[in-house]
Amino acid sequence: MSFDKLLDLAYSYGGLLFNGLLVSFYLTALSYLIGFTLGVLISIARTYGVRFVKAVCQAFVELTRGTPMLVQLFLIYYVLPRVGLALDPLSAAIIAIGLNSAAYQSEYLRASISSISYSQWEAALSIGLTKLQAVREVILPQSIRVAIPALANELIYLFKYSSIAYFITVPELMYVSKFVGSRTFLYVEIYSIIAVIYVAFSIAATEAFKFIEKRTSIPGLRISTRL
Amino acid sequence: MNGFLTYVPIILMGVWNTLILSTAGFLLATLLGLLMAFTEVFSPKPISIVTDWVARVLRGIPLLLALLLVFYGLPRLGIALPNIASAIIGITIVDSGYQAQLFRGAIEGVGGRQLEAAYSIGLSKWGAFRHVIAPQAFRAALPGWLNEFTIVLKDSSIAYAIGVTELFTQAVHVAQVVLDYLQPLILVSIVYFSICYPLSIISERARRRLLAMGVAAV
Amino acid sequence: MGAVLEVSNLWKFFGKSPVLRGVSFSVGEGEAKVILGPSGAGKSTLLRCINLLIKPDRGSIILDGEEVTAPGVNAARVRSKIGFVFQHFNLFNHLTALENVMLGLIKVKGMNKDDAFKVARESLLSVGISEDLWNKYPAQLSGGQQQRVAIARAIAMSPRLVLFDEPTSALDPELIWEVLGVMEKLSREGMTMIVVTHELGFAMKVADEVVFMDSGAVVERGSPEEVILRPRNERVRRFMERMQYVYSLK
Repeated sequence: MSFDKLLDLAYSYGGLLFNGLLVSFYLTALSYLIGFTLGVLISIARTYGVRFVKAVCQAFVELTRGTPMLVQLFLIYYVLPRVGLALDPLSAAIIAIGLNSAAYQSEYLRASISSISYSQWEAALSIGLTKLQAVREVILPQSIRVAIPALANELIYLFKYSSIAYFITVPELMYVSKFVGSRTFLYVEIYSIIAVIYVAFSIAATEAFKFIEKRTSIPGLRISTRL
Repeated sequence: MNGFLTYVPIILMGVWNTLILSTAGFLLATLLGLLMAFTEVFSPKPISIVTDWVARVLRGIPLLLALLLVFYGLPRLGIALPNIASAIIGITIVDSGYQAQLFRGAIEGVGGRQLEAAYSIGLSKWGAFRHVIAPQAFRAALPGWLNEFTIVLKDSSIAYAIGVTELFTQAVHVAQVVLDYLQPLILVSIVYFSICYPLSIISERARRRLLAMGVAAV
Repeated sequence: MGAVLEVSNLWKFFGKSPVLRGVSFSVGEGEAKVILGPSGAGKSTLLRCINLLIKPDRGSIILDGEEVTAPGVNAARVRSKIGFVFQHFNLFNHLTALENVMLGLIKVKGMNKDDAFKVARESLLSVGISEDLWNKYPAQLSGGQQQRVAIARAIAMSPRLVLFDEPTSALDPELIWEVLGVMEKLSREGMTMIVVTHELGFAMKVADEVVFMDSGAVVERGSPEEVILRPRNERVRRFMERMQYVYSLK
């Protein structure tokens, strides 16, 4: 591709692509937050809950992990309106990706909770903390730290997976690229450019998380190496 | 009923393409991934670093984007391939990055102490790899490798973007005809689930058994 | 003066096998009771029952006149009145030494940070943990230091009673004395305590009464001199002979 063409492209469609990137970030951030919040709740419910609650959560997690995210996205976008829950494309994507991520994040956290030894639990109770306090003050802070690499990885995954919102016309990076491609017929050029953006973000985020991890690490708290 | 039942066989025909797509892409990615992992671990530093970066770049590309790039890119290079072949190439490219990471972790996870012990009984470098490192690394990688296949299988649905007539595409096409997404989507969910769930159980069992043997799975 | 703790006819089963078989004793104000016995005798289980970390199957535990084994008793409130020092320290890994001591004061006693800090400071100083160690994480402390922080964490709550579960068993031999020294000082200052240990020297010096347990039951009790030096029971005598071989270079 000639440099002129690139400049032209940037001039005519740069703003559009930038907006697409912002939508991708927004989509990723919100669905990650939903995933994290629900993930924490589900992991606690699956560890400490009564049998019924455990079973419901397990069913949700297994069903979600056993089917494609794309199917879930379509279910939420195309089927929910039939029960009177019509969502705009962006909301549908945020909810679908968020729920999907909740299943995965709950699994990372559940594994890290079970890696915290029972003696921490006993010690927490022994100073008079209630069970709820023991979870909140002792078990969760430790297990979240242990799960940080997996949770950070999940954020990077979500950024990449947010591209499937393209299928339901959310104007995120992939979708606007397709639009620019169809206007200019420079599909390969435009896709190459956003490939660079995706890759740059993934690598930069990986490095940033490694740095944060080192900075915030607590001596003796073993962190699972999943990056 | 809206005549959905007559369309069930049409949707299920997509299973074959889904299986071909995901198995071929996955196995090719295994080959490439192994190659990259070995290069990263056993070659001189500059080559190892370059390979590591290649794998990292591949991991950074969303599958959807890789599929579109191959789909639009190959014809520009004068190569005309059926859609399913483009999809296999796209899956191979992205997944080989992940598998490289998996195998590298497995090899490095065996650790220096095992290597020390292998050298201490007089094994050569190659002997140590063949008899001590490789058998353990292979086992350590197994659960993650199975799990990776389920990911590829589910993500193969993204090949819908380039019109491969796999399971998900068929479901969407039928949905558009019968004007109902629920039934086709539930049907394909059952198919995906009945392949992925048993595999994830096998993977989890393998992980636990390995842990009992003192091998930490990747 | 009434007893601080009264344990009567305590039974505990794990599956069908009894781990505690009708254990009874009482601990008076300021008393140091040392429990000796082979491993598997049920000593650890007994301490965990007293702290309600394990629910006994039969029998009663009375703390300051209140039956804590009765149904409906708030376990957290009871535990806040009983300190527990674990064999493996069990400091909270994600908190510094100071934060370990302050957590219960803030979350259980509802103190504000300033008050909690003052109490924690007193408590840490009293076990000989100097200021330069307060902001260290458990993994940065030696075993002896960790155990002393754990003792500070227990006594900061001003408990009625402190339970020690083999507090020196996980320590390197040269670090044992610093923990035993703190415990001895604590006893001299009037703290009521029950100590499960193999340290016969400590028992001789500090214990008001020694209880010997075997197979879930109390088989002998009395002054340290009686139980350790002149045991009447055959099993106790054999145990003491072995212990003395290990500890007194005979």
